[in-house]
Amino acid sequence: MSNITNDEVDVVIVGLGWAGSIMAIELAQAGLKVRALERGPDRPPEDFAYPKPADQYAYAIKNKVFATPRDAALTVRYNDSETALPTRKWGAFAPGTGVGGSGLHWTGVLIRPTTTDIKLKTYADHAYKRGSLDPDLRIKDFPFTWDEIEPFFDKFDKICGLSGNTGNLKGIIQPGGDPFEGPRSSPYPLPALHDTYNSSLFAETAKKMGYHPFPNPSANVSQAWTNPYGAQLAPCNYCGYCSKYPCLNYSKASPQTAILDVVKRMPNFSMRVNANVIRVDLHADKKTARGVTYIDENKNEVFQPAKIVILSSFQFANVRLMMLSGIGQIYNPLTETGTIGRNYAFLSNGDATLFFKDKHFNPFATAGATGEMFNDISPGNFEDGIKLGFIGGAKIHSSQATGAPIGTALPKGTPGWGKGWKEGMVDWYGRSMKIGITTTCMSYRGHHLDLDPNYKDPWGQPLLRMTFDWRQNELKLQRYLRDIVLGIAKELGPDSISENFLSLDSHWDITKYVSTHNVGGAIMGDSPRDSALNRYLQSWDVHNVFVPGGNAFPQNFQANPTATIGAITLFAAEAIKNQYLKNPGPLVQV
Amino acid sequence: MATAAAVPIASIPLVRQAHADGLEGMSLNQYQPVFFSAPEWQFILAACDRLIPAEGRGPGALETNVPVFIDQQLHNGLGDDVYMDGPHPENPAPTLGFQGTLTPQQSYRAGIKLAQQHAQKKFGKSFEQLAAADKDAMLTALQKNEISFAELGEPALKASSFFGQLLGDAKNGYLADPMYGGNKDMKAWVAIGFPGARAAFTEWVDMHNVKYPLGPVSVSGKRA
Amino acid sequence: MMNKLTQFLTTAMLALAGAAVHAAPDQALIQRGEYLARAGDCIACHSAPGKPAFAGGLAIDSGHGIIYSTNITPDKQHGIGAYTEKQFADAVRKGVKADGTHLYPAMPYTSYAKVSDADIKALYAFFQSGVKASAFDAPASKMRFPFNLRFGMGFWNYFFADAKPFAAQAGWSDKVKQGAYLVEGLGHCSSCHTPRGFAMNEKASNSGQPAFLAGGELNDWPVPSLRGMPRWSEAQIVDYLQTGRNHGSAVAGEMTAVVEHSTSHLREDDLQSIAAYLKALPPAPARSPAVKPQGSQETARKLTAAVNLTLGERLYLDNCVACHFVNGKGASRVFPELDGATVINADNPTALISVMLHGARTPSTDKAPSILVMPGFARRLSDAEVATLATFLRQGWSNSAASVSEREVAKVRK
Repeated sequence: MSNITNDEVDVVIVGLGWAGSIMAIELAQAGLKVRALERGPDRPPEDFAYPKPADQYAYAIKNKVFATPRDAALTVRYNDSETALPTRKWGAFAPGTGVGGSGLHWTGVLIRPTTTDIKLKTYADHAYKRGSLDPDLRIKDFPFTWDEIEPFFDKFDKICGLSGNTGNLKGIIQPGGDPFEGPRSSPYPLPALHDTYNSSLFAETAKKMGYHPFPNPSANVSQAWTNPYGAQLAPCNYCGYCSKYPCLNYSKASPQTAILDVVKRMPNFSMRVNANVIRVDLHADKKTARGVTYIDENKNEVFQPAKIVILSSFQFANVRLMMLSGIGQIYNPLTETGTIGRNYAFLSNGDATLFFKDKHFNPFATAGATGEMFNDISPGNFEDGIKLGFIGGAKIHSSQATGAPIGTALPKGTPGWGKGWKEGMVDWYGRSMKIGITTTCMSYRGHHLDLDPNYKDPWGQPLLRMTFDWRQNELKLQRYLRDIVLGIAKELGPDSISENFLSLDSHWDITKYVSTHNVGGAIMGDSPRDSALNRYLQSWDVHNVFVPGGNAFPQNFQANPTATIGAITLFAAEAIKNQYLKNPGPLVQV
Repeated sequence: MATAAAVPIASIPLVRQAHADGLEGMSLNQYQPVFFSAPEWQFILAACDRLIPAEGRGPGALETNVPVFIDQQLHNGLGDDVYMDGPHPENPAPTLGFQGTLTPQQSYRAGIKLAQQHAQKKFGKSFEQLAAADKDAMLTALQKNEISFAELGEPALKASSFFGQLLGDAKNGYLADPMYGGNKDMKAWVAIGFPGARAAFTEWVDMHNVKYPLGPVSVSGKRA
Repeated sequence: MMNKLTQFLTTAMLALAGAAVHAAPDQALIQRGEYLARAGDCIACHSAPGKPAFAGGLAIDSGHGIIYSTNITPDKQHGIGAYTEKQFADAVRKGVKADGTHLYPAMPYTSYAKVSDADIKALYAFFQSGVKASAFDAPASKMRFPFNLRFGMGFWNYFFADAKPFAAQAGWSDKVKQGAYLVEGLGHCSSCHTPRGFAMNEKASNSGQPAFLAGGELNDWPVPSLRGMPRWSEAQIVDYLQTGRNHGSAVAGEMTAVVEHSTSHLREDDLQSIAAYLKALPPAPARSPAVKPQGSQETARKLTAAVNLTLGERLYLDNCVACHFVNGKGASRVFPELDGATVINADNPTALISVMLHGARTPSTDKAPSILVMPGFARRLSDAEVATLATFLRQGWSNSAASVSEREVAKVRK
């Protein structure tokens, strides 16, 4: 174990997932000397050549390409008066690791928030009577306009070969797409994926009932595609091994397929894997960073000097690293001082499973993003929330993200084991479909991240502590959505329905997988008083540190976060190239 | 009796398919467990035989070598990704997830030992010697945590946790790719109509409500 | 890994500082020489893995012993630093070293004979001033008797080497002329694509001869004819040379390295010239396979329905359909077409069997950086299964070629 100092670089990138890969290529193409440090291993595409990923046990049960709780656990508690306990096994969420991050194995739903979603505070102030919502609500607007950010959504859509139906092209509503989407400057790059049986049944019924379904916008591409960087994607073959799996067919847009082969050719780009960054090192005045320190695979402590530091590991890892490095002040929920750790949010889901003994759904023939959804129940698109006293909405969808048999849903009353279970599998595998919800999640004064006082990671550093639970706002939303979903389900006439929604007294059950769309903790905003980053993801406190990731969201909308993470990262990269390099310093004056 | 099983492909000369090597071609009565001791193995065989029995439609756990899978998984580090550091407070809220102190390997050793202790106490026999109905009753009691492991001397393990681990592993072994030792000859996949590792359905995604006719293929390329 | 080698070699080649041995080297000339060295693919033989660029040491199995490539860096003792331009020209165009010994025609001097004086001058400038000198002492070649008697090469050259300079044919456009110059000369495509005689000599040395680029065999692989290229347009030829992939094909075997190190570095206009030239050559008389017009639909239909399958069809669905699809058409520039593919219909099935067993990967190139990997199926399929599947491919859709035997597969697998 020895101390090493690397050669200095212009940019060090911590975490080589989507955000890190976007920063890497944008800044390397601008001529900067860029080095990426990735905690996990390299993940070259030949590791996932057909048919290796077609292995549910390895990838979806044992989480082969995910981080392990042993290395990356957090602690969780419901409120500040409790002692937080470690996530000893993954449950509600599961972060990735390795080159590509979760971008390697994500589902591939690439969807933008609405124009209302990015100005939710303005909307709430306008639409809701004062005092009708939870007084602890701390929602904020994103610090950019739709017109400013749209070109970057557009660019990321093209980087990923977005496949779907255009809904709103330059203000004109197009048939077949989402009529509620914000105006696009270009149509979708590629046509939509094909519908599976469940999605077509759902869409047909939803349409009849007055909703506006459209195919899930997909980064599993429908045709061969060459993206703006020159990288190639291949047509999806609906292999059924998508969500949680690396793609075996070059069809899922990932850092590997969309970016890395291009940036790896550049002599000014280099990377180190199995390099765990433990700290950002600041200058004595704490106004700028001088580099980062990591532990390499031989347990050496290595200092990487850099002029610019990009923190692009997962949302909560970014926040934790800021805390461990003394970047900004850790948030105190009682006094509401400090900004690092505040506005943590998540999301909830729920579903009804419909069983049809005589239908063949062929759940194995599917892509990750296969499905139909509607956004009619989205803030600004419906009024019931205002009447019923909650703010939020949900994607309502019938998707079929994977079809492998472990964990097959069986009708209520089927025994959990024995002859009944076995025959249940024979009778009901492939005979069910789901109608699901993916909800918004507001941010609250008391939902926050900080450092745990009791538990440490294998490198001796405190685990991140997460204080979060469901609030009445989200639970009321769930009950409302349940009625809608069951209404559609009954219209379809199944033999039986089983349901899974939260109740008004539900606590967050971290043993059941929800989604890894954890957001907030180091949010972007207009003021250093209540945000950690400005609109360019630049730390208000340390001006050569940029933190792209879901951490930047002030609350969660119902759209999947990746499209927005891609857009805000591209937006920040432009600012670094065009403004920061010429004049290093805070980019936003307050 | 009609099941969701695929139509067998009579025209394919089976002699062309090489016999599977390694775990995939193992026969249960020739398998030598590497994790379980001989007595523990007897418990596992008997328990798996009731969790996924031979009777009824579809293959049972023994026919599909599920115990081989479990033995191999425990031997190969199952559970080494779990965060095990203390402290471990008493009575954690179940919604905050697993907070136990035992690894899966420790749980199986302790769980089998205590289950056998209980069987001796209650029936004067070991578990594998019980009649099927008694086995089922005992498994149910474990599942519902009606057997107190604490009273039998092990407060760190709940009977229901042990049962949950065993059942989960059995189901995984039943349905996983046969390279892991279970789902022998892909019989479970054939029974439910799952095509295995074929992973290519471009034209099938459009065939709504049409039964898929082709049997499964494993990651190693074996056909059924 | 190929990527790292390319990166390393590129960096090494750009190391101009301190490498100059002659006064006032003209940068433009050196860069021209560097470009021509790409066209000649000198690096492919004169660089060995782990050794400095152009320092030689690559072992080439000639079938009669091992030939080691020489150090052609400007080192005065171990390389060609002491060569005059005339000596350099004689080595490149006549296969004669400065000390008078003959080079073996593993060095394609029979093709390089066509390189112009101006281009020799540029190449010389590059190798003297654009390449970093290395003192690496490349091993001596070890040829078996009587091939170790280098003076014998003099006789061989007398009978088989055509030392005539490049001559354009009447009626060629400037574009075709440029393409011919590149292909006949530095490109030395003839080394692989022209059939060879009993003395390992190429049976033709220039475009006027009908055997020129008419295809042949290399290390048992069938090498396609380049004459006329009836199945590809000029743009498709350019795409392939630039990126190792096009609408229907992806590079495999020896040509992969040629694309990676040589053709993908050529300018668009030069590649267009090469394409125009190849299209201008009268095609070699080829066995016309019996085309089955309904074949494509029939195979696609049978595979889609997936009932009553033959073993070959079942193997296709279990191994290949994920990328190549039921219609055998793959997807443009990512998954090669199987229906009508030259490599599948070739009389000699070795290349096909090889790719099925070992897979293939596209090189990373400037215009197409993505490395697309086809896995090998050696572990997944037995010899009998490969033979059955290869036979299915050769007779499915509109393809028409002889069956493949288990024995043929076993031979390739060794």
